[in-house]
Amino acid sequence: MTAVTDQDHTDHTDHTHRMGHRNRTDHMGDGDNRDSRENGKTGSTGSTGITGSTGDPERGDVRGSGEEEGPATGVRDQEPRAPREQRAPRDPQEPEDQQEHRARERRAERRERAEREAARHARVPDAGSGAGGADGGASASAEDASARTASGQGSRADSPSEGGAAWDDGLIARRVTEASAAEQAAVKEARGGGGGGGGGGSSLPTTPLVYDGHLRSRLDALRELVGLSRARLDNRTLARAGRVLDEAAARRRLSGQHTVVALAGATGSGKSQLFNALAGVTISETGVRRPTTSAPIACSWSDGAATLIDRLGIPGRLRRRPVQSADAEEQLRGLVLIDLPDHDSAAVQHREQVDRVLGLVDAVIWVVDPEKYADAVLHERYLRPMAGHAEVMFIVLNQVDRLPGEAAELVLDDLRRLLDEDGVALGEFGEPGATVLALSALTGDGVGELRELLGQFVAERGAAARRISADLDTAAWRLRPVYATGRRTGLSEEARDEFADRLADAVGAIAAGEAAERAWLRNAGRACGTPWLRLWRWHQDRRDPPTGRLPVTAQPDEETTARQRVEQAVRTLSERASAGLPAPWAQAVREAAVRGAQGLPEALDELAARAGLPPGRPPRPGWWPVAVMAQACMTLLQVVGGLWLVGQIVGVLAPNLGVPVLLMVAGIVGGPLVEWSCRMAARGPARRYGQDAERRLREAAAGCGRARVLDPVASELLRYREVREQYARVMGVGAGAR
Amino acid sequence: MVTLDVRPQLLDALSALRDRVAAARFPLPLAGAPRARANRDELLAQLDDYLVPRLRQPEAPLLAVVGGSTGAGKSTLVNSLVGRRVSEAGVLRPTTRTPVLVCHPEDHHWFSGMRVLPGLTRVWAPHQDSTEDLLLPGEDGRRVLRIETADTLPPGLALLDAPDIDSLVADNRVLAAELICAADIWVMVTTAARYADAVPWHLLRTAKEYDAMLVTVLDRVPHQVVSEVSRQYGALLTKAGLGDVPRFTVPELPESAWGGGLLPATAVAPLRTWLAHHTQDSAARRHVLTRTAHGVLNSLKARMPELAGAAAAQYSAALRLTSAVETAYDSEYKRVRGRLQSGAVLAGDALKRWRAFPLDCTAGELLDALSESLVALLLCAVSAADERVDEAWRREPAAEAPELTDRDTAPESVEHRIGLAVRRWRRELDEYAEDEVRGLERGVAPDPEAVAALVATALLGGRRARSAGEGLAERIGAHGALRLRDRAGRLLAEHLDRVMHAERERRLAPLDGLEVHPEPQAELIAALSVLQKER
Repeated sequence: MTAVTDQDHTDHTDHTHRMGHRNRTDHMGDGDNRDSRENGKTGSTGSTGITGSTGDPERGDVRGSGEEEGPATGVRDQEPRAPREQRAPRDPQEPEDQQEHRARERRAERRERAEREAARHARVPDAGSGAGGADGGASASAEDASARTASGQGSRADSPSEGGAAWDDGLIARRVTEASAAEQAAVKEARGGGGGGGGGGSSLPTTPLVYDGHLRSRLDALRELVGLSRARLDNRTLARAGRVLDEAAARRRLSGQHTVVALAGATGSGKSQLFNALAGVTISETGVRRPTTSAPIACSWSDGAATLIDRLGIPGRLRRRPVQSADAEEQLRGLVLIDLPDHDSAAVQHREQVDRVLGLVDAVIWVVDPEKYADAVLHERYLRPMAGHAEVMFIVLNQVDRLPGEAAELVLDDLRRLLDEDGVALGEFGEPGATVLALSALTGDGVGELRELLGQFVAERGAAARRISADLDTAAWRLRPVYATGRRTGLSEEARDEFADRLADAVGAIAAGEAAERAWLRNAGRACGTPWLRLWRWHQDRRDPPTGRLPVTAQPDEETTARQRVEQAVRTLSERASAGLPAPWAQAVREAAVRGAQGLPEALDELAARAGLPPGRPPRPGWWPVAVMAQACMTLLQVVGGLWLVGQIVGVLAPNLGVPVLLMVAGIVGGPLVEWSCRMAARGPARRYGQDAERRLREAAAGCGRARVLDPVASELLRYREVREQYARVMGVGAGAR
Repeated sequence: MVTLDVRPQLLDALSALRDRVAAARFPLPLAGAPRARANRDELLAQLDDYLVPRLRQPEAPLLAVVGGSTGAGKSTLVNSLVGRRVSEAGVLRPTTRTPVLVCHPEDHHWFSGMRVLPGLTRVWAPHQDSTEDLLLPGEDGRRVLRIETADTLPPGLALLDAPDIDSLVADNRVLAAELICAADIWVMVTTAARYADAVPWHLLRTAKEYDAMLVTVLDRVPHQVVSEVSRQYGALLTKAGLGDVPRFTVPELPESAWGGGLLPATAVAPLRTWLAHHTQDSAARRHVLTRTAHGVLNSLKARMPELAGAAAAQYSAALRLTSAVETAYDSEYKRVRGRLQSGAVLAGDALKRWRAFPLDCTAGELLDALSESLVALLLCAVSAADERVDEAWRREPAAEAPELTDRDTAPESVEHRIGLAVRRWRRELDEYAEDEVRGLERGVAPDPEAVAALVATALLGGRRARSAGEGLAERIGAHGALRLRDRAGRLLAEHLDRVMHAERERRLAPLDGLEVHPEPQAELIAALSVLQKER
């Protein structure tokens, strides 16, 4: 099963709730748990003693299976992540060529059966890799599962030194040193595995599992999501989602009539005893030797589960049938019970098997006992990460016969409290969630109740889908940090405007506009000024040094655009755009912006040269000549008036002071008047001219920036939004959109 | 076995070593840092709670710490050894949350002080009210040790009932590890259901590693299977190289059941006898003392280099982070210098202003544009450097330290700081220009602002602003122009250096605040070698 440890506690709870609401309808059966518990007390079935001697033939069986581990070992050796210290001691024990030989033999034996099933497995994408057929299917899933195991161990999922190193915080009792790991490996027994023969009954054609529409659409959404984000996220992040998909597909092809339930728990909690009690016959060896069970054992209550058990990699020798009784048969029809090894003993390979099988079963019965129910290893490594799977979990307090009086009830309450702290939703009062009950496999007390609950549970046939859905939830929650941040994303209108402004600054649009306006005004003033003023200006110009004035653009200016401003504009924009995005997508946005910014300054240079005002004098409006004319008239008036006066003084003309003085005064007053009114009239056009110059530059720059930077960034954001929606669909939020 | 000769030099060396260990810090979240922190704490606990007090006062009573998994029956065992209920036992796990130390009344003074376990507050009053007791350790994070006296215990022996070693309550876990480190005799309790659990075995291996005096108790064995379980446990111990460890088996009796009373004295008699013998027989006692003490001393040989290695890893990670910052800022500094030389400041707005100067643009406007452009250049350089640093740090696991991640990323503040610096530069430039103009004759003296603008243009415009230099020379004379330009250039370089340096220091400040230095590594090793010499 998938493990999530780095997840927020509250997140988990409420996500379980949400899941709960969805599934409430198909989980109504849990409502009468408490009632049925009362009834179930009477149904104590045959129990077996603890004496180890009764299990002797079985033990031989288990050992025997260990020797013919050909294909399984082959598979294990191919595993990229198989811890070295485990491989090392096995190799001398079983030379490789011998392994190969045995594997080939077994494959040949199974070829016939495999071919029968080939049709069904043909669509398994990963089944073709190995020997094909059932063998291939089993090995593929085993490989799959152990890869999952390796990363399924809590928050240290990604550390390369997996194996025993997980759950190792360096405290005095929780430390795994290399020496101790090696010692543990030395203890390691050869273990059985691989697909066995059809011990679980003949493989009748079975109806494959059907997921309901909602789950199907979520799975499809996840597949699409993985496809969409492959380019952006690394494979490790997506691996878990990929595995969920693979397993959902694999489980779907297998029987929907069966529910695979695993019995898991600490060593000495009485898993095997409970297993035997449920089966009604001593199947699994029990005893005081710890750890007792070293390989998973399957027991199937009806036919057609062979492929399911193949998927778990349980060999034929370890498949059993319960004692034949019509009653039990009827009640637990469709149940496949798996007895797992312990998860907390010093034998590391047991834990690996548990982790592997837990990833593949439909439901789990956690068997705890009064001594160990509060073990950190159980809660921290299994229950907390699997809190999302509460609906497919039973937690059974075994060995209540060892508790006096009402202590059992106390312990049960304490267990419930611990589970609650773990974030496991408890299936009480009709709420969907884990079922907690107390029983004693030894005396049979409460076993009937469990049997009844299991019967109901199996009859519902919803466990597999619920498990997949919980897996999906967990995987989706683990992906949450790369898809969602809970913050508003996107490029605001202000950010776009600001980017345009910055680019305009970079090309100097404002300054260019102002300069153009002033130049226009200046020209207007010069054109319409009085001739005397022009004369004076001309004189000034001749006196002044010619520097600084309109630097002749002899050489075309290179790099007229301010590089640093463009760079900063792009940086700010990409920061704005990537704010609130999950890291990988933020990175993609940044990259898009940087890619777009390459060559942007050069393009702006070129553009500024083209879009800028044509060099030389600004255009002359039509009214200027009129103004010039008027000015000339004024000057003429002055001159005429002056000459007339001079003429009178000289005596050439008749003395008539009034008219020439009037003419002169009109000319002297009119000239500046015309100039002033021209200046007033020029203001509007000058501003328009300047604004026009500014606008042309600004628009050109903004257009260039949009095409090169904004658009790629926006499309990257759009891609993220798409993925985000897809993610919401996976989370089941956008359920209506299917 | 060597006798426990304690020379003052050894004690000095040991306390020096202790101080070094206490001073070691592993603030950067490297792969090995949590482990190193745990190792440091454990070592410190062992030194403070056990080794130093033990070597100082070899005559102090032996401390036997009873440790084991939850539900192993530690409290019941302690109660039975003492002969009365001193530590509560119960069915709810974890039972023991407050450690209980039981000793003979005469030995009380040894434990009432802070000689051992100085981190724990002593509580004497026996808390019969269990609810209050449960609250005690939690309140304001104070950790409590309850001390009980019982004259049924032989003098010279103290029993400590520790919380479970793999408790769900993280504090209990840490406390249990610390308590076990304080023991002269490690009493490991396991049960018939647990003897193959991984957790107790880790503890046993640690005990072996430290060569501590170890006793194992196989508790709660149903009487039908005593011999078989005992045999198998023995076989496992032998396989782990612990075959010679004294092993006691306590059967599961109705009396022991869950919160019940005490086990009959006969059930724990062998263990009791063993403990009594080792406390009262002086040879056996010395054997216990020397074995555990020397075991810890010997283990230092491996543990100190480990700590030193972790310290070195911290330092090298810090060095990598620092050098990433320095490289980024250095290269950006070079880039800025290059851009200044090539006249990148005189571009965009500033260039347009310069083209319009002086006809369509005043000197003030030109200076404003130039300042703004300069601010943009510097801001760009600083942001680019930060970006590079982020990029480089993203590959460093050490950069994820919370102190380093939550720096203020507001670019406005950077902009503000740079703006201030540039404004100051401009003001000083104005003053220089005024100085220069003041020296000229009144009649021909040009506007100081225009002079400042021309100097700024000439400085910042590179080749493009050659005419500015010419204009300047015409206005204030070639000599004055050269002088002014030199001074202004020096001023600019100075401000540029100051800005880049200040920003780099700001970036490095949180890293410096973590105080990861190269010294601890050498000091740890040196302390160890001094200790080795003194032994």
